[in-house]
Amino acid sequence: MDKIIKKAGAFEIINHWVMAISCILLAVQGYGFLFHIEGIGSAFGGFNSMRALHNYLGIAFSVSLFFSIFLYLKEALTYDADDIGWIMVLGGYLSHKVSVPPMGKINTGQKFFYLAVLIFGIGISASGYVIWLLPGNKQYILLSHIVHNISFVTLMIAIPVHIYLGTLANPGTLRIMLSGTVPYQWAKKKHPKWVAEVEGGHKA
Amino acid sequence: MARMGILVSPELCIGCRACQVACKSWNQLPGDKTTNRGGFENPPDLTPHLYNKIHYLEVPAAADVQRWLFVSQRCMHCDDAGCMKICPAPGALYKTKEGAVGINKDKCIGCKLCVAGCPFNVPRYDEKDKISKCHLCNDRIANGLQPACTKTCPTGALKYGDRDSLISGAQKAGYAKVYGQTDLGGLGSLYAFKDAPNVYGMDEKPVIPETVVFWHKVLKPLSYLGLSGVVAASLIHYVAIGPHKEKEEEEKKNG
Repeated sequence: MDKIIKKAGAFEIINHWVMAISCILLAVQGYGFLFHIEGIGSAFGGFNSMRALHNYLGIAFSVSLFFSIFLYLKEALTYDADDIGWIMVLGGYLSHKVSVPPMGKINTGQKFFYLAVLIFGIGISASGYVIWLLPGNKQYILLSHIVHNISFVTLMIAIPVHIYLGTLANPGTLRIMLSGTVPYQWAKKKHPKWVAEVEGGHKA
Repeated sequence: MARMGILVSPELCIGCRACQVACKSWNQLPGDKTTNRGGFENPPDLTPHLYNKIHYLEVPAAADVQRWLFVSQRCMHCDDAGCMKICPAPGALYKTKEGAVGINKDKCIGCKLCVAGCPFNVPRYDEKDKISKCHLCNDRIANGLQPACTKTCPTGALKYGDRDSLISGAQKAGYAKVYGQTDLGGLGSLYAFKDAPNVYGMDEKPVIPETVVFWHKVLKPLSYLGLSGVVAASLIHYVAIGPHKEKEEEEKKNG
């Protein structure tokens, strides 16, 4: 049997699922609100209950976003020459022939994606709380409304790419969300620096 | 149906506030507790139970010691309404066939965004967190009556009628420019002002907040163009470049 290696623990897997499900439901509701789509409203029991659900799911999303800081932020802020090399070959996404520099636990694109999710996730959460809880101040509401929507547009561009790259574009990646493990050979090819780190750690 | 409106002529108003009382009476709105603030104007601003009120203004004048202006404040029933634009709940705010901005409290979700979207600071929220404002007495109009406030007005300071005839009437009476004629696509509440609008406590050029316009014109289309763009790009990538197939790539390299 092929050797496997653990990439994500139970907490990370659950946290990611909480974020993924809340995010997708929130996004669907967002389109319902934006374009007055009656079908989406009905699916959530009418626009009144959809609004309540939107607020509560927002709590789930922002809490999982908070925990993600401890899981990914340090890694997402650590860069070296290989990250520049990664950008030069565009991560090998546009051609299978180029050789991609060795990556750590998450690659350069994933680092950028995480930072985008963190920044716009904080934007969409904070502005959501303001609209929900502080409806008195007109200037705050207008600012929050525009921040909420800019974040929404950005996330609606970034997240589908993330889902595509994690499923169809890279078969075998989705299992990280299910079992948290990956084949040793796969890890060695995609995240060699991380594998070396893990093995070095074991030896020491 | 022709667009209907209300023409407000502050110069004809005697400040009796019968319109405020008639509105409360017809719409069954409870009285608000007020305090003596040393003037006739009360309550100081629109409330969830006060759809229209007379704003009392004392302005310096050349001839008299002072000049009293009584300006009726109410929903302006904009053609291009900021409240309707920003509202996320379908049907909570709607255009009546007379061109007024009607409200449906059952469909209001209580988010209060309309308060921020209104250029005239009109919408209020009641105890149940539902929008509350003048709806041009659409229940009266539907039965061939005129709004309670205009029906009651003893001096003709409030006049209800066909919007175009109200404008041409005001112009014939010597008001060159009627406030609200073209602003925000044309207001349903028109004002025959003798002086600049700011003398009467009104904005010279009322506009929907520019962030709301930007959101409506740019961000809303971007939200689906962006999403469908990246979904399409992913599909093209899948077909044209294809997914990483680890084993095949290894084999090719080892060749």
